[in-house]
Amino acid sequence: MITLKGIKKSYFIGERELTILKGINLEIREGEFVILMGVSGSGKTTLMNIIGLLDKQTEGEFYFMDTFVDGLDDEALASFRNRHIGFVFQQFFLLPYLNAIENVLIPMVYSEKQIKHPRDKAKQLLEKFGLLERIHNRPSQLSGGEQQRVAIARALINDPDLILADEPTGALDSRTGNEIMELFGMLNEDGKTVIVVTHDPKLASFGKRLIRIEDGTISEDITA
Amino acid sequence: MGLSQKISQLREFLEETIKILYYYKSRVVFSFSGVALGILSICVIVTTIDGANKKAYDIFEALGPDAIMIFGGSERQRMARIRANTLTIDDADSLQKIGGVYDVLKVFAVRGVNMKYRDRKWQTQVVGATENYFTSYTWGLQSGSFFGSEEYNNAEAACVLGAKVYEELFKGENAVGKTIQIGRLPTKVVGVLEERGGTVGGPRIDDRVVMPLTTVMSRLSNEKKFLGMIRLKTSRDPEATIEDVKSVLRRNHGLEGAEDDFMIRSSKDVLQFVSVISGSLFLFLGTAAVVALVVSGFVLANLFYLTIQERKKDIGIRRAYGATRKGILLSFLFESVFITIIGGLAGVLLSIALQGTFEKLFDIPMVFSLKVVAFSLVFSFLTGVLSGLKPALKASRIEPIEAIRG
Repeated sequence: MITLKGIKKSYFIGERELTILKGINLEIREGEFVILMGVSGSGKTTLMNIIGLLDKQTEGEFYFMDTFVDGLDDEALASFRNRHIGFVFQQFFLLPYLNAIENVLIPMVYSEKQIKHPRDKAKQLLEKFGLLERIHNRPSQLSGGEQQRVAIARALINDPDLILADEPTGALDSRTGNEIMELFGMLNEDGKTVIVVTHDPKLASFGKRLIRIEDGTISEDITA
Repeated sequence: MGLSQKISQLREFLEETIKILYYYKSRVVFSFSGVALGILSICVIVTTIDGANKKAYDIFEALGPDAIMIFGGSERQRMARIRANTLTIDDADSLQKIGGVYDVLKVFAVRGVNMKYRDRKWQTQVVGATENYFTSYTWGLQSGSFFGSEEYNNAEAACVLGAKVYEELFKGENAVGKTIQIGRLPTKVVGVLEERGGTVGGPRIDDRVVMPLTTVMSRLSNEKKFLGMIRLKTSRDPEATIEDVKSVLRRNHGLEGAEDDFMIRSSKDVLQFVSVISGSLFLFLGTAAVVALVVSGFVLANLFYLTIQERKKDIGIRRAYGATRKGILLSFLFESVFITIIGGLAGVLLSIALQGTFEKLFDIPMVFSLKVVAFSLVFSFLTGVLSGLKPALKASRIEPIEAIRG
């Protein structure tokens, strides 16, 4: 599903070149549940951004769903993201002027997929996540865990192939965090490919495969 | 992608825009009212200029393009509102001999005359005129007849009522044949003029009583010689006729080396006057409109620009979920245009609501047309696009990773 070959990423800070990723080779297949772990500054977020088609590598080749995506322009990348990836972020990033169900429906504004009755689907997802009574609440009226579950429902509405979560438990207490991770496990069991990026070693046990990033390279890759 | 999906996406987009605007109310209120005021000014300009042109056309039509009016007194005296009697009946007779002049109307008016019918009283001006008054002004009757040469030659106490005077004294009853008191003179009503309304010379046009010149001069006032105004029509070039009129009058009055003691006005002057009015109106309100639109445009642009920072995450999440740069650009532009178009429509409605007030203020009727609406929408649209462009460009250039990083 995802193939990275010799991915390097570097930035120029003034005259100095700062290399964040130093040649990543990685393959992720459909149906995997990957925990991408590394400390702050290890390059894990940069790697996630590249996998999520939000950033471009400096060197190397990247195939997503057997498509060589490096040559795609802004419009094609946006459409690719919309069709294939569901994002979940640490800070949830729900839009404050929309209620829960409207937030879930955001990707549908840009979708080209034929999703029948998106509103019903959004409602079903929220119901599945125990938020049926919250669908008309604004984000400010929801707890952190509830907001993150709304965000996950949003990630799922357009039937993506990959769920890409960046520190999804970072803003939550550990019990709520565990619930969210269990939710990802459930989604994985339903057949979704899930990648969770985190610095938190306690989350390692939730995945089926652990990839450790250190100083811009993969230092460990264990499949349970 | 199916059409129905496109439509539901569009509807969702519209609903979202409205929610966003509601969320950022304060920004919307400021820019909205600025645009509304600007468009209000534009509406007033356009409708009033149209109204002024229509009025000018009506005046032109009523006076006839060949009419020349001569008043007693110099320009300076008139400016100082001094009424000087210099025009005489003899002047009128000699003007008649100028080549091309085919209609000479002599007028002597008395203002503030009290009149009475039964217990109803009214005060207005009495216009003494030659018989050709009605044909010269192409003024028709709603009842009765004009006075004729018999009444004129015998200086009979006969009058034709203006519509306003008729309304005040008779309240719709039959007036023809009745006798009213004009000053101390019992006068027979022979006819009632049709209403001219405010189109020519303001609403006062209908507030007058017309009587034979002979009667007014000898029986209402003790005037033997002087006239208030002479109005003539010419079949020649008006400019050339005016020159002849000048030289005849100067010779009659013995004005060797002195300035004119009379004033000549033609229809052209009236048109010029109206165009000066609409010109200054255009200048004054046009400036106001431009200032209002520019200021509200700047306010819109700046408030918009500020909220971009606040909405960075919003933009980031949309980009992550499939919005293109172009999509972000268009949605932000749409927001701004939406505000200004709604503001513009409010301006149009406001101008319609305030029509009466403005008409009183400028004494010019406003003429509304589709042109006004089109004008307003174009200006609102331009304001929206111009003020929204920079913020929208900035929004579209935000990289999703930069926005999401926080």
